[in-house]
Amino acid sequence: MSAFDANWSLMTPEIVLATLALLIFTLDFMTGVKGKKPFVGRLSIIALLVTAGLVLIQRETGSIADIFIVDSFSSVFKVVILIGVALVIGISMYYVEKNDDIYQGELYSLMLFATLGVMLMVSSADLITLFIGLELLSISSYCMAGFKKYKKKSTEAAIKYIILGGTASAFILYGMSFMYGLTGTTSLVEIGSQISALFAANPYIVLMSLLFMVVGFGFKISVVPFHMWAPDVYEGSPTPVTAFLTVVSKLAGFAILLRVFFVGFGGIFDEWGFVIAIIAALTMIIGNVIALTQSNVKRLMAYSGIAQAGYLLVPIAALITLDLTVSIIMFYAIAYVMMTLGAFAIITLVTENSGSEDISSFSGLYQRSPYLAIAMSAFLISLAGLPISAGFVGKAWIFVNAISADMLWLAVIMIVTSIISFFYYFGIIKQMFMRQPKGDATELKAPFALSSVVTITLIVTVGLGALPFFLTNLFSGLQWMAF
Amino acid sequence: MIPNLLTWLVFLPLAGAALVLTIPKENKNVIRSLAAGTAVLTLILSLFVWAGFDRGVTGIQMGESYPWIDFGFLQLHYELGVDGLSMPLLVLTTIVTTLAIFASMRIQERVKEYFAWTLALMTGMLGVFVALDMFLFFLFFELTLIPMFFIIGIWGGKQREYASFKFLLYTGLGSAVMFLAFIAMYYKGTEAMLFQESTFNMIRLAEIYANPLNPEALTNTFKAGLFIAIFIAFAVKLPIFPFHTWLPNAHVEAPTAASMILAGVLLKMGAYGLLRIGFGILPDQAANFATLIAILGVINIIYGACLALVQTDLKKLVAYSSISHMGIVLLGAASFTEAGMQGAIFQLVSHGFIAALLFFMVGAIYERTKTRTISEMGGLSKSVPVLAGFMLAAAMASVGLPGLSGFVSELLAFLGIFGASPELIPAAKAIAVIGALGIILTAAYLLWAMQRTTFGKMNEKYNGIQDARPMEYIPMIGLLGFSLLIGIYPHILSDVINTTVIDLVSRIGG
Repeated sequence: MSAFDANWSLMTPEIVLATLALLIFTLDFMTGVKGKKPFVGRLSIIALLVTAGLVLIQRETGSIADIFIVDSFSSVFKVVILIGVALVIGISMYYVEKNDDIYQGELYSLMLFATLGVMLMVSSADLITLFIGLELLSISSYCMAGFKKYKKKSTEAAIKYIILGGTASAFILYGMSFMYGLTGTTSLVEIGSQISALFAANPYIVLMSLLFMVVGFGFKISVVPFHMWAPDVYEGSPTPVTAFLTVVSKLAGFAILLRVFFVGFGGIFDEWGFVIAIIAALTMIIGNVIALTQSNVKRLMAYSGIAQAGYLLVPIAALITLDLTVSIIMFYAIAYVMMTLGAFAIITLVTENSGSEDISSFSGLYQRSPYLAIAMSAFLISLAGLPISAGFVGKAWIFVNAISADMLWLAVIMIVTSIISFFYYFGIIKQMFMRQPKGDATELKAPFALSSVVTITLIVTVGLGALPFFLTNLFSGLQWMAF
Repeated sequence: MIPNLLTWLVFLPLAGAALVLTIPKENKNVIRSLAAGTAVLTLILSLFVWAGFDRGVTGIQMGESYPWIDFGFLQLHYELGVDGLSMPLLVLTTIVTTLAIFASMRIQERVKEYFAWTLALMTGMLGVFVALDMFLFFLFFELTLIPMFFIIGIWGGKQREYASFKFLLYTGLGSAVMFLAFIAMYYKGTEAMLFQESTFNMIRLAEIYANPLNPEALTNTFKAGLFIAIFIAFAVKLPIFPFHTWLPNAHVEAPTAASMILAGVLLKMGAYGLLRIGFGILPDQAANFATLIAILGVINIIYGACLALVQTDLKKLVAYSSISHMGIVLLGAASFTEAGMQGAIFQLVSHGFIAALLFFMVGAIYERTKTRTISEMGGLSKSVPVLAGFMLAAAMASVGLPGLSGFVSELLAFLGIFGASPELIPAAKAIAVIGALGIILTAAYLLWAMQRTTFGKMNEKYNGIQDARPMEYIPMIGLLGFSLLIGIYPHILSDVINTTVIDLVSRIGG
């Protein structure tokens, strides 16, 4: 089959997004380098939503030469990511209004290109395409982290991110090269079909390959012990970029982790399942415990994000069936996108308004804006995993799954660390409701884009908590991966 | 009968809370009346349920069941219903909460939020008592956590933040153990039915655990472990020594109405869970542990009373007396006799009214004297005779004066433990005698406290302070009235709980 016979229409959303991203990039150039250009942001949101619509109406499943696959897994993930990025841009529009040193057009186009990278990643069944998608995402992210170029911390974040992220990419590539060396193919499906025999013949080389990939992906999704970069990078990056990294980059990392490990290495799950369980346990414990000591809200969210990544690893380790694991991860991913981006919208507003990233900048928020304080509490309660919230349902599902997979110890660690997390999440709630505003006590008004983000995420967070069956019923009947 | 009456009952307060939120915060009186109106309406609805309750029937009434969430391997249902165990507690909740809302009319700060939280709390508590699906039960149980956290943390005393966090973490840990136990119970239940049936329904699970298709799945070790986990989970809320340490902090820092609800209803959720799930589903394990439970009950009675005896703070004294009185519940339940079980449920209801009244009185007096230190009071019967009178009446009810509800409860509970079968609790008589000492201690600390606060020389500072306001008569007369009603006419309660009690006790073969 030559490349021209392939069903290229499967790639329509990606092609459309790439075109729109280039168009927006050009438009931005044509209207001059400097100045406020809110229309670029709006256009980007439209581009993302159009793409999301295209993914939704795409009924076909199949693949282009076994390299680029479209299945339920890739489609749902793409929709989640596209909506997530649209929300991030909604947050960014307020941020760039406040910060003149940021070139808006570039920020948005980079975000669109990064999104394109994610879309490629979740659809790829080939190590090379996968790596290209990953690097498209990573390189765009490195640039975005350093966007406040006159701020030392932002520059530091970018440098740290590029060096460590580059190292992680190298690890992944090295691990991949072992597999190529053994099989002579980069197709994940091909590798998957040979893996058991390969492992029997060359256990050490396969394990080395696996180990390198675990290290590399571990960096990308910031799980312990590869998490050290995350707090510094998240703290230094512009706040909407932090939101992008904690949500979009992390979920993208999870997507390829799932794809590579289940399609490629699924045959030898017994060899690595336990390693994932250990990493999950460490991540939950260390992420939650260190979060307790943070007073900078962005660092706190970074550790909270690390802890949440730990929860997301649990269903991978507690594998019963692949479809179930993906359903659980997908549900929690949606919950995570909503609650985290909602929280980040408010964090952006509050920290930009007060000029401080300390938790105490939230003090008395209730007096200044009851709606935002209540919404923030809902997000934090959801992150902590209390009912009625999407976070609770997601966590309960993970928890029950772990128990039915006979991993009681992991479930217990998860629940105990969740209770530790009450302390820091409710610490913010305490500031908002139980303390008086310090300094500026005037009403805090959110601009339209930001308040829309808050409202949308709030509705989903609470709605999925009360009526989760809309998603759970849909997911439990789905066959996720085409291979 | 109204269809889905229980759903209406449970969610009416929440709807009221939502309505309260829409009113501008300046209109304090509108907010207050709306909150009170919602609560009264809920109360009336609960009386409807009470009236429509069929006394002769064992088992669940007014059931509702809808499929809710499908997790693939786990199906959850939205299931509500009442029986003789939940019915009195349901009405207790509406009465105490409504009166607590009337008692909070003097709250001036952040009125809107306050009433919204209280109404939300009411939904959580009502939900706990009617939920039959354990997952739903857990959800409602957790739902009570957040409003209470806010109420203590915002409207509480000086150390409110500390107290609210302690409350959150302790009860949060209890809930975690509970959740674990529920899931384990679910899976083993499924296994015991040879994977033919899996359910979260408490009533059905009790049947499954009594008559499994595959008895080997439910080993004694597993059941014992499960019972211990459930016991610990609910012990935190009840609270049982040594899991009680959050309670004095929470009580002392909480605003008056929250203390009333905390003592009046929240603690009962622990006892209800223990009876419904611990005793109801694992009766043989409850019987195995009966001696231990009875001993813990006695420890609670004596330890709580001893601590109450040495308190200098009146509110702390009442808080420790709550711990002591919850011991009686354990004692009665552990006896596995009809009288004992009845006594336990009577005590739950009775303590709900009396403790709420006591906390209300302490709050009312604190509001006037600005002190809770017992030694700084004195002669209150001269300066505020009505308040002092009601406080004395509450103390008497708490001591167990005949004619008041406390007497009936304690009598039944102790009758139960004295009559407990020696195979079940070998040293029942000795335990009963030691437990009965608690009554003397209760009389000692309460009467001593009353003597130091209401009688004696009047502190000149308090000359001319205002006596009970009209609004305060509502909770005072209401709570005392119900205690009196049960004291004089216990049949009104026993009538409802009898069939359920017989059913509970019969599960271990009489």
